[in-house]
Amino acid sequence: MSPITFILVTQGIHGLAYGLLLFLVASGLTMIFGLMDILNLAHAYFFMLAAYFCYAIAGATDFWVALIVAPVATAILGMLVERYLIRRVHAFGHIPQLVLTVGIGMVLVEAVKAFWGTQSLMVQTPKILSGHVPFGPLEYPVYRLFIIAFTILILLAMVQLFSKTRFGTIVRAATTNADMVGALGINVPLIFTLFFGFGTWLAGLAGVVVAPLLSVFPGLADQVGLDAFVVVVVGGLGSLWGAFVAAILIGLLNSYGVQFVPTIAPLITFLLMAVVLSVKPTGLFGKRQ
Amino acid sequence: MKSSRMNRMMFVALLVVGFFIMGMPASGLAVNSSFDPSKMSDMSGFDPNTVVQPTGDTFKLGYMQILSGPAAANGELFWPVVNWVAYDLNKRGGILVDGKRKMIQIIKGDTQGKPAATKQEAERLCLEEKVNVLWGTSGSHLAKIISDVSNKYKVPFVNCLSLSDELMDAKNFKRYTFQTVSDTTQWNMAMAYFFKNRPQDKRFSILCQDYLYGHSMANAFKKALAEYRPDAKIVSEDYHGLWLKDFAPFLTKVMAAKPDILYTGDWMPDGDNLLKQARNMGLNVPIANIYITNPEAWKAVGVEGSKNLLICYQFMSGDTPQTPAQKMIMKAWHKQWLKWKEPYNKLIYAWPDFVIGQTLSDTYWLFDVIQRAGTTNPEKIISTWEGDQYGSIQGVRTMRAQDHQALFDMYVGVTTYPTKQVYPGALYSKGYAGVHKVTVIPEKYCTPPIPEGLKNRLMK
Amino acid sequence: MTRLKNWIPWLLLIGFVLVYPMVFGIVLTNLFVRFAIFAVFAASLNMLLSFTGLLSFGHAMFFGVGGYATALALENIPGLGLMTCMAIGGLSSSLLALIVSPILVRVKDTAFALLTLALGQILFLACLKLRGITHGEDGVGGFPIPPFRIPGFLSIDMGHPQSFYYFAVAVCALSLFLMWYATRTPFGSIMAGIRDNQLRVNYLGFNIAVTKTIMFLISGCFAGVAGALFALFQNLVSPDGVFSVMTSFTPIMMVFVGGIGTFAGPIIGSAVLTSLEDLATRYTEQILLINGLLLICVVIFFRGGFIGLFKTIKQKRFANSREMPDGHPGDEISIP
Repeated sequence: MSPITFILVTQGIHGLAYGLLLFLVASGLTMIFGLMDILNLAHAYFFMLAAYFCYAIAGATDFWVALIVAPVATAILGMLVERYLIRRVHAFGHIPQLVLTVGIGMVLVEAVKAFWGTQSLMVQTPKILSGHVPFGPLEYPVYRLFIIAFTILILLAMVQLFSKTRFGTIVRAATTNADMVGALGINVPLIFTLFFGFGTWLAGLAGVVVAPLLSVFPGLADQVGLDAFVVVVVGGLGSLWGAFVAAILIGLLNSYGVQFVPTIAPLITFLLMAVVLSVKPTGLFGKRQ
Repeated sequence: MKSSRMNRMMFVALLVVGFFIMGMPASGLAVNSSFDPSKMSDMSGFDPNTVVQPTGDTFKLGYMQILSGPAAANGELFWPVVNWVAYDLNKRGGILVDGKRKMIQIIKGDTQGKPAATKQEAERLCLEEKVNVLWGTSGSHLAKIISDVSNKYKVPFVNCLSLSDELMDAKNFKRYTFQTVSDTTQWNMAMAYFFKNRPQDKRFSILCQDYLYGHSMANAFKKALAEYRPDAKIVSEDYHGLWLKDFAPFLTKVMAAKPDILYTGDWMPDGDNLLKQARNMGLNVPIANIYITNPEAWKAVGVEGSKNLLICYQFMSGDTPQTPAQKMIMKAWHKQWLKWKEPYNKLIYAWPDFVIGQTLSDTYWLFDVIQRAGTTNPEKIISTWEGDQYGSIQGVRTMRAQDHQALFDMYVGVTTYPTKQVYPGALYSKGYAGVHKVTVIPEKYCTPPIPEGLKNRLMK
Repeated sequence: MTRLKNWIPWLLLIGFVLVYPMVFGIVLTNLFVRFAIFAVFAASLNMLLSFTGLLSFGHAMFFGVGGYATALALENIPGLGLMTCMAIGGLSSSLLALIVSPILVRVKDTAFALLTLALGQILFLACLKLRGITHGEDGVGGFPIPPFRIPGFLSIDMGHPQSFYYFAVAVCALSLFLMWYATRTPFGSIMAGIRDNQLRVNYLGFNIAVTKTIMFLISGCFAGVAGALFALFQNLVSPDGVFSVMTSFTPIMMVFVGGIGTFAGPIIGSAVLTSLEDLATRYTEQILLINGLLLICVVIFFRGGFIGLFKTIKQKRFANSREMPDGHPGDEISIP
């Protein structure tokens, strides 16, 4: 394998891994918007919270327990926030919602600092997933391959959820016509809350998955939050497949950008966002504003 | 008769010359004052979580740091340091200034990591709280703001954290500001000089944070390396955004360049993340750095991963014999640390080494100067400090009068895995490599030139 | 008699503002200057938000461009006058508004908010990257601050907090007045029309794109003026200080806390948030917590902000009074 091919492929896998991680975060965000018309700016902060939960739980037991428990705990918190805070301002339009979710984000950052301090914390990679896979002249870390595999698994599970289960059918129906679904006797507010929990659960999964890769610190949400936004916008608000394609696109742009045009690499994502918004405001796959 | 007189005169002459010669090295080491470990108070009541600040007619130190927001770890890190010194001196009866004994009171100033808040807080501390001295800070652009404000209201400012070269250059120099931490040039001269005796390291990769600090560090290193090792080659040079999530694309670039050494100026959490992800990806070359000193990060990569970190700093514990003062402070601090609770029970606080040890040492220096000045009058403090030579906890520190930059020996430590406890603070053997082999870089090899416009500042 | 009565509160206010720096110290004087600057910045955003119905999530781009233009001009051009550099600040941000208008006029609602966010981020990153010009993260600082000069008559040093106070407050008051006046003109009515029903206004024959562009120009210009003042006040502009997402979000918070849909909202909001931040930093490190809780409370309990709260109290107290509410159509809108 020639060096240049090797670099292209390695950076490609990096991009895929990061992109899929973004997808996990962004998918919840976009679907919640699609169904409930909520733009949750606190979404990335739930991602951060889950990373902290992972640190706490993995420290006491192990990573796999954390992978199950932490996202659920985050989801429960998310549902409480939706039921008692977000729902109250839903009728007032987008701006109060924006302001409220930013406020919630701020409170979450302070909360993690109050409980876990301000220093960055380390989570160990689980033993089975540490190590390398031989790849060309070098080796590729197993953990990043795990991220790719895991996320695709979750995506497939989601597709099954939406097409085959009753819950999924209700959700898809409610996206088009929530009133009618309510008229059919289904408790739409409850569905909404559960769905919000589901979206937050996805962000929670991402938080747990990212913890061994990095360190856990209060600034975790900031960059990821903005990137997730770009994914959602470019993919199209409300579109799951749009988020998938956009996330991978942005992940690849990021790693190839770093490789070939490092000076302007961070700008690329926002330029893309601006272009998409100017030309097709509903995003690549989006249907509604 | 004549010859015996000649002999006697010769003898006397020789004696005089002999004393002169013997006296010279002694006068070279002559310091105005030293840190005296024997005078340190019993610190058994000290807990940074429960310190009570004295009130009344106190000597006020304004602690300007990032106390809130995502980078609040910086403000937390040095809180025990300033309070340790205050507690110690207060227990001795306070400091003698303006004819009376005053207790030291630490007043917080939250920079929030933002320029606007820094200005506001610096002004508040100077004008309302009427602090006697400002202490800080993380962030060289913020240090500049504090320097401006402190100079305007005539309050001495000790910069013990910001490495910027710019702060004390001819354009920005302020009389009331003193820099006790190395500047970028100084630090990189020491780091580059270390490689003078490592001819096997020829290929260097640079990966720094993409902002002014990262670029200054990289430029200063390239310059110093070109001077001390003209045969060395920079095989890759990259800059990454702050608080980067994914180092992988950058690390792949580095690995493709096949370096012998990876150089970075990254601080927390980027430095820790860099180490973790580098070792994770199989990049095992030695890393030349300044701030990858968090034992949590070392622990995360294990013994193999934490070996061969080349840490350069002006304060370091290692296999070179520790000064009695160092030994004592290490033991006393660690003994107290065992009792501390969240958030100070983290490993990074366990031993006062590296930046914690340095700021501790510098804060003692600050108060030594103030006590020798015997007054809160800034003019007297300035004249006492200019040209001062002080025997700090580790090594002699000289405050260069023209540009208020401190000069000292630097140290480069290589992390290895010791097989037994060698010195207090070498407890790093619990699952990770700790600093063990220390090379001293004498002051003369890492003295930055005096800025052109300041050379004649003090000539009448 | 009634006319005089209406003027009394204004006279008292002017009097208070005039004697303020002499009564309170330097620290509080600077606090007032910060409040004034952000009041203008928030009001400029409010022109788009409350009067045109557009939420700009990247308004810091105008603020920052104004600030940087002033700072760079002062750093590189010796002997620049005070009013000249203020003009540079205002004009440069107007120029930016002109450049981005073509893209911005085509979108509204959420897409508009997100597009402004993207543009704001692009400018932030560009500022960081163009290190040669903008000095990157460290920002531009230490530039000479020109005195206020009337040639041959007087020259006042602007390094003095008190002198700068009078200058800044005068500029801010003038800016606020001009913006307020703009909402009162027929043009202001068109703006409100665009907010309420863009399609209809189009059918009435008004060119929406041109109107919106003028709107962006006005809004951007005054944000730039605020930025220029900020640069002079701080003697430092940095990307994190004037271009960040938080800088964009601050005026939005201020408008909301003060009272969305009113002209005075951003001014009150700026007063509340600036004072709150000052109070908070004195006593605690959990500034984000306090800000966050405030936002949550305001959103849930006081949607109309402080002005809404005030009006509710006034209504309850004067429930039996026959006083007609003092208002002008377009003054209050239902929350979008």
